[in-house]
Order: sequence, then C-alpha cells, then structure tokens
Amino acid sequence: MKLGKYLQDNFYQFLVFGICYVIQLLIFFAFKVDQAVLLASSFLYLVCLCLILLIPYFRKKRFYTDLLANTFALDKSYLVLETLTKPAFYEGELLYQAFYEINKSMNENVRQIEEHLQDFKEYIEMWIHEVKIPLSTLVLISNNHQEQFDKKTRLQLKRLEDYVDQVLYYARSENAEKDYYIKEVDLAKVIKNVGLKNMDDLLAHQIDYLVENVHYQVFTDSKWLEFILGQIVNNSIKYKRNIPHSYLQISVKEDQATTTLIIEDNGIGIKAADLKQVFDKSFTGENGRNTNQSTGMGLYIAKKMCEKLGHKIEIASVYHAYTKVSITFAKNNYYDVLK
Amino acid sequence: MIIDDDTFTCNELAKLLENHHYEAVILKDFKNALTEIAAVSPDLILLDINLPYLNGKALLQHLRKESNIPVMMVTSSNTEIDEALSISYGADDYITKPYHPHILLLRIGAVLKRVKMHYRLNETELTYRALKFDVQRGILKKGEREIELTKNEMIIFSYLLSHQNRIVTREELMTALWDNAEYVNENALTVNISRLRNKLKEIGYEEVIDTRKGLGYILL
Repeated sequence: MKLGKYLQDNFYQFLVFGICYVIQLLIFFAFKVDQAVLLASSFLYLVCLCLILLIPYFRKKRFYTDLLANTFALDKSYLVLETLTKPAFYEGELLYQAFYEINKSMNENVRQIEEHLQDFKEYIEMWIHEVKIPLSTLVLISNNHQEQFDKKTRLQLKRLEDYVDQVLYYARSENAEKDYYIKEVDLAKVIKNVGLKNMDDLLAHQIDYLVENVHYQVFTDSKWLEFILGQIVNNSIKYKRNIPHSYLQISVKEDQATTTLIIEDNGIGIKAADLKQVFDKSFTGENGRNTNQSTGMGLYIAKKMCEKLGHKIEIASVYHAYTKVSITFAKNNYYDVLK
Repeated sequence: MIIDDDTFTCNELAKLLENHHYEAVILKDFKNALTEIAAVSPDLILLDINLPYLNGKALLQHLRKESNIPVMMVTSSNTEIDEALSISYGADDYITKPYHPHILLLRIGAVLKRVKMHYRLNETELTYRALKFDVQRGILKKGEREIELTKNEMIIFSYLLSHQNRIVTREELMTALWDNAEYVNENALTVNISRLRNKLKEIGYEEVIDTRKGLGYILL
C-alpha cells in the first residue's frame, strides 16, 4: 500500500478540508481575529487533517501490504487467506469474509472436479481391464485358428493392445497419486520382455534387436519402464528407414552415480528443428506428418512417467542417420548401505 | 486347470493348451473352488484375479494353506503391486493379459519344469533315440562321441525335443530363443537350423529335422 496513491484516492478529504479552511479564514478575516489565533487554528487544522488521513492508512496498511505481498509470494496464490490475520477494521472484515466465502466455494468446486477426475480415471482403468479380456481372447482365437487368421491379424491386434496400454499409462501418469512401486529391477529382464512383446513386429519389419551386456540393476517400476521402452521401440519400428540393415541397439553405460540405458536405431531420425519438441504433448513433427501414424502421445507419456519415477530421459538424433534415446537412473547409495 | 470367470476365454485357452498336448480342465463352481481344485488335483493352475465370490488373491492364500500346486496368475491387472502381492501369496509366476500365447506356453513349461526339477534334482540329461543330451553343458553324446552345440542350437534342439513328433512353427522357435535373450533374426534362425542339421548328420542322424513347408519343423 503506497502512501501517495492512498492520498490521491482520498483527495476529496483534502478538498473538504481545504474548503472548510478557506471558509474559516474568510470568517476570521471578517471578524478581524488576532493573527495568533489564526495560526493556532491553522495548525490545528493541519494536525487534524494528518490524523484523519494517516490513522486509517496505518490501520489498513499492514493488512493490504501482507495481502498483496503474500499473494505474489505464494506459488498457489489461492491459499493467501491462510497467511493473513483477521483485520481489525470494518472494510477489512468485509473483505476477509468475502474471501473466506470465495475460498470455500472454490475448494468445493475443486473437490468436485477432483472427484469427477478420480471417477473418470477409475472408470478408464476398469474399462481397460475389461477390454483386455476380449482382446486376449481374440489373440488366443487368432492363434488357435491360424488357418483363418494370418500374421497380419495378429499384428493389428498388437497395435490395438499398444493403444489400449497407452491410454492406461496416460491415465496413470496424469494422476497425482502414486501409482507405481519402485524396487530393484534387472534391466536385462525388462529388455527381454519388451523384445518378446515386439518380436513379431521387429521380425516383420526386419529390424535386428541388438542387445549388449545389460545385466544391471536399477531402481524403478518394471511395468512402467517396460511401457516406456515399448514406446521407444515402437517409434523405432514406425520410423525405420528403407535400408538393408535396420537395427535397434540397446546398451548400458555406468558411472559412479548413474546408470544409463541407451536405445539407438538407424531409422529416419528427427530433424533438428523438431528435436526440442518431441516430448511435447500431441507433437508429431515432420515425421508424423509423413507417416500419418503418430499420435504425438508416446514420448510425452514416457517423459511424464520418467519424471515421476525420477529418471532422466533424453533424445539425440541426426536426420537420416540415427535416433538415440537415453534413460538415466540414479544409483541409490542408501540401498547399497543396507545390503 | 483354468480358473477364469470369462467362459469364452476359458474355452479358447483350453483349446490352446490341448493343441499343445496339455490336458485342460475348467473350474465350474466358483463357490466351492477349493473342493473342486482338490478333486481335480491339477499339475498347474492358471488363476485370474477377478473372480466371483472369492478373488484370485484370496483364493490363492486359502489354497496355499493346504497345497503346493503350482499357480500361475493370469490377469489383466498389470500393476507392480498386484504382481508383488501375488508372488508373496505364493504364486509361481505372473502373466498379464493380453499375453502372447507362445510366451504363456513357455512360462507354463518353465513352471512345470521347475516343479519336476524339485522332485528329481539331477535330471539335466535328456535322451533322443540313442543320443544323450546334456542340457547344462550343451553336449550331444552318442556312445563315446561328443558334439558341442552353441547356445542357440541348444535352445532349438531342446525345444524340438520337448515337442517331438509335432510340428513346431518358426514363430515358436523364435519365441523360445528370444525368451532366452538370444535376439536372432529370421536369417540367423535358418542358419542355426541348418547347422544343427549338419551336426546331427555328423553323428548319424540325417534328416531327422524335417521342414514342413509353410508350417514349420518337426523332429522325427
């Protein structure tokens, strides 16, 4: 609360005082009052003016200054009411009361939306579990009756499965609550599961799955990591180049504080202009426009999940040469001490 | 034995298992699941989590109080927590729907093998006609003659051997290889099979691995 502005705002008080003062002066002159009385009275006027203007200023100043400062200081400014003491002047009380009611109604609103969101998420999860049952039966049928359903059917079923999984993990990664379970996981096992899951696709597209020594233990949720890796492998399949030897190479690098999983392919790569945005929601870029199969969600979800799990995901690429994705896991020395 | 509330899934799963020479029974009475399990006394149970009356995890807990029948959880719930819980309740394996049928069969094979190993600890030698196959060392023996197999050849041969006289598709062999972290491509599989054939020929078993065009291979 600035004094200048406050005084400007209370300009009418100056005005009233000024008019009264002038009238008084005129009266004094008319009655030829002594100069000393005139001075004393003027002085009194000045003091009164100051008091009338400044007392309310100082009464209000603290409340408003706190209100403003705290509002800007808080990252969730709607919580500002909690930081203020109830003001001792009437206007402030009214304001405080209004704030209180506004807050209450907003909390109510937020709670309702959260409930809706939670309901929706639960429904999506349930729906996904339900839809997986007929899906898995379809997979079985297509396998049991190979004379009627060829490999193409199975590859399409696999695509369907992938999209369903994407929704599931999107719902999970968007949700504020903890939906994962971190424990020590063997990277080799995760890589094997992802490989098996995508075997048909990799073979159909003639992409070699080259895995180096990957027997490293990291702390993560294996299901989440399998999904993240799956997204990366899927991208490599989607964006392969038409060259004789397509490959997908998986390796691990380790230093004192971190373990890094590196997935490199020799696919079409990503243009430098697009590289910065590949983790953005719904970003498809040049490659997406050309293949018409991108949702722009895979890497976005992967990044989000990595953030939740505390891993770092990075991407490097040279157009028409390679794409290299690396996921860095922090080593947890605390657990080493326990062992 | 299959325990799942979706009859369609049950039937197809039973069909898959029967196609691969397993005997499949489907649980009918969920109310008295435990007595029915005891009556059938299966070698392995495939158990879903979402079941009427008693969910899969609870059923498993009850079951573990009285028996050691191997149990494989087959479910559409794929959280790490569910898996950890199931294993802690005594499940032998956990596989999520939708699963690849070949992977399911491999896992079933692995669980059954582990259980058998438990009974007969030293069974690491298989026989094929007059050949002895040392699985641990990857060596084929005919009398005094020994032939060493590479890891890939060994995986292929054991798979063919355990499915003798039945057509094995290339896809099945691929799955078996990849499941052992041998990520070979189509060419490599062809090369490995012809090498395996040559090695078998060396010790006098010519043309025992027959190619069935468009279907796969068969070990006679």
